[in-house]
Amino acid sequence: MNLVYILAVAFTASLLVYLSGKISKTLRNFLAVLVSLGMAASVIYLYNHSFAIHLSTGFPDFPLVLRINTLAWFFALIISVVGVLTVIFSLQYIKNKKRTDFYFLMLLLVNVSMLGIIFSGDLLSFYIFWEIMSWSTFLLISYNRGAAIAAGMKYIIMSLAGSAAILTGILSLYTCFGTLIIAELAGNLSLTSPAYTLFIFLLFFTGFGIKNAVWPFHSWLPPAHSEAPSPFSALLSGTLIKIGTYGLIIFFYVILGMKKFIGLKYGFFNLQYMLCWIGAFTIVFPTFIALLQNDAKRLLAWHSIGQMGYIILGIAFGTSTGVAGGIFHIFNHAAFKGLLFLSVGAVEYRTNGVRDLNSLGGLLKKMPVTFCGALIGACGIIGMPLTNGFVSKWLIYKTLIVEKYPFLAFAALLGTWGTILSLYKFLHNIFLGQLPEKYKNIKKAPFTMQFPMLVFSLIIITCGVLPGIPLKIINRIITSFGLKALDISIWGVISETGALNTVNIFFALAGAFFIIWLIFKLWPKETKIAQADNYAAGAAVPRDKYNYTVNFYNPLYRMISPCLRDFIDEFYIRLAKITRSLCNSIKLVYNGDTGYYIMYIILFMTALIFIQIKWSIW
Amino acid sequence: MALKLLLTLIIALVTGLFFLGLSRKMIARIQWRYGPPLIQPLIDIIKLLSQKSMTHGGLFNFGLVLSLAGSVILLLFIPLGEWCIMNKSGGLLVIIYLMLLAPFGTALSSGAAANPNASIGISRKLLMALAYEVPLLLILLTLMTYYNTISISGIIVKQQNAGWSLTILPLLLSGIAYILILPAVLGIRPFAIVKAPQEIASGPSVEYSGKFLAFAEIQHAFQTYITIALFVNLFLGGASNPGYFFLKMLVVFVAGILIHTVFPRFRIEQAIKYLWRWPALLALAGLAVVVILDKI
Repeated sequence: MNLVYILAVAFTASLLVYLSGKISKTLRNFLAVLVSLGMAASVIYLYNHSFAIHLSTGFPDFPLVLRINTLAWFFALIISVVGVLTVIFSLQYIKNKKRTDFYFLMLLLVNVSMLGIIFSGDLLSFYIFWEIMSWSTFLLISYNRGAAIAAGMKYIIMSLAGSAAILTGILSLYTCFGTLIIAELAGNLSLTSPAYTLFIFLLFFTGFGIKNAVWPFHSWLPPAHSEAPSPFSALLSGTLIKIGTYGLIIFFYVILGMKKFIGLKYGFFNLQYMLCWIGAFTIVFPTFIALLQNDAKRLLAWHSIGQMGYIILGIAFGTSTGVAGGIFHIFNHAAFKGLLFLSVGAVEYRTNGVRDLNSLGGLLKKMPVTFCGALIGACGIIGMPLTNGFVSKWLIYKTLIVEKYPFLAFAALLGTWGTILSLYKFLHNIFLGQLPEKYKNIKKAPFTMQFPMLVFSLIIITCGVLPGIPLKIINRIITSFGLKALDISIWGVISETGALNTVNIFFALAGAFFIIWLIFKLWPKETKIAQADNYAAGAAVPRDKYNYTVNFYNPLYRMISPCLRDFIDEFYIRLAKITRSLCNSIKLVYNGDTGYYIMYIILFMTALIFIQIKWSIW
Repeated sequence: MALKLLLTLIIALVTGLFFLGLSRKMIARIQWRYGPPLIQPLIDIIKLLSQKSMTHGGLFNFGLVLSLAGSVILLLFIPLGEWCIMNKSGGLLVIIYLMLLAPFGTALSSGAAANPNASIGISRKLLMALAYEVPLLLILLTLMTYYNTISISGIIVKQQNAGWSLTILPLLLSGIAYILILPAVLGIRPFAIVKAPQEIASGPSVEYSGKFLAFAEIQHAFQTYITIALFVNLFLGGASNPGYFFLKMLVVFVAGILIHTVFPRFRIEQAIKYLWRWPALLALAGLAVVVILDKI
């Protein structure tokens, strides 16, 4: 199947979806789902294909290349599957809002442009699709107006800075090597001077790092994720920021090449090691900031940054186990973070937009399926055994320990404990505890919202119990980079320094759980009582007055919040303020009043005449 | 295999319950009381199982069963003498993760009860876990780096040749740190903050009654056993037969109880500050020593 047709048809179809919305909303919904399904189906059809298509553009030096290989297929699969599920979720979520046709157009456009980036075999088409993705994302982030506009602005400004860095890098590569085709660039960089490699490296790391929200460039992500419509947050966190990672992988392991990248040194300064520490810092710092958040989506957004840290750490570490773990974590993060954002979306939809963790509670009894989704997602992000997050994190930890980098491993493990605390707070404050009076009549989430959550849950569990299925594909990716293949079987990883066998763990846990459950059920049945009965011993208690959710980890907040100032964000904000005041002072001169301009001209001429008369220079 | 499995569970349960009984007796004697008989925990459990019980719904039951299952599966990973049932399934890294299954189960169960005392207890339980997990992770990483394996049986085998970890000089700092955090992991005073009966009415278990409380007690017995067994395996060289293993565990537990009896209770901030200061610093230094030795 021709990649050009896929992209062209998908772009046209997105426009058709927009136009059909003017005729009938049902037709539009049907078409939108159909388009996203079509993309997913064509990506699945491309499994095991590997080819490239050269298109001439009229400019002889710039042929556009579209290509597919295992790495591209893997990312395309994640994008298209998350795409389908978010479109299905959006059907109901977006129904009562304004500009719904526009929303679907942009949602599909983001998906198609991401596929375009993945399929690009040269940096020019890569950049074109990259820009389409950037502005369509901006329009969707600011879809809700209000605070979302500011969040969108922050995103687009940082994104433009990143794009500028990437464009500079591309131009520099072109002037140096005369080609932009990735396959031809590969390995060329090793011929140039180390300083030039560092220059290109910094440009691309800035560009991709901003999209990736790696630590010094993370500050756009929390407001953008929390202000965007929830299904789009799932897409943002699930796939869009991974495009930055895709760029980094392409740069590290294809353009730069594995041999050149590993141990890239400038004197004492080991670039690869520094990247690992950036990854480790990106795990710990945002995870603990997430602990302090009271907005459900903001909490998840900070965790997105934290999880990206694991991915960067795994990929930058450069051993087969580490890279495999990093790439597997990309897939896993898309599943569990997508699921978590969708479950918040369902809660938000039913409570008319409430995401404040302090005012929710007790929704377990009203929205059981949503709770199960959130629970499985939480287990995934924590990395509970038998969820997919466990396997990828296990791979990353194991390589760090076996290669004797225990401090990096400590940062990664500490991040996990921070994640447990904040995710439990998330579950507790939304779903457990006491149900506030005003949510007594809340209904469960509609089926179009439950369905995507069920699919995500299924993916998380399946890949957790049988990690061999995705790891087989990942093995092909890492061997294409020149790394050694992992010794995997369908149920786990085999190695001399410690094996992993998830099926064993699964059966042991399932067996233990089943037997204990059976013993539990053998005893006389327990009586179900109302929540106030035991606590108040039957006496009347004032409703809505006895819940412990606000400041859930208060003693810890008081200790750590002074240490967790986001000084990078403060720096950016100060920079923005300085720029604004500078522009304002220029505005005093160029104030748009013609009278002033005429006065400037007269003053200038007077000065010239004065100079001429006094010193007669001309 | 099945016999070993059953024996492991029974030994763990009996040892755990014996320890709980012993602790009550010892505390009583130190306080010049007569104290309950040694088998009092068993009597309590039988009594509780015969009583009526109350529930708050599906998750309330599920969480409790999950926490007990989490403890049981953890038992299979921890060698008892030379028996280790799940020897080749992921080693210490999996143990680190499985250790969070039981608290998470309890947390879900108590959260579903919607009792503020339970919620406060859970918040404290997780905070304490975070607090002692910082030094504990450093200690485990030190061991894994020093012995160059992530398998717990591998660590025991290496100790049989080289002597207990506690007597190996580079691991001494980590060993001291582990001893310092052991009361926190066991949840005894000065770290008995989670249950704090006088303050928050036993915290997480406040809503349990009848068979629920019995299950929670059994889980507590298992948890006590696991915590001490892990320390004995990692630092006191494990043991070649269950009898010797039990003896080592007994020594550790009695030492813990002696501390428990004479100390008052920390507040949660004090506990976190303590755990993140001395034990964490010692453990960090221990890890640094091992890493530096490894590089030389």
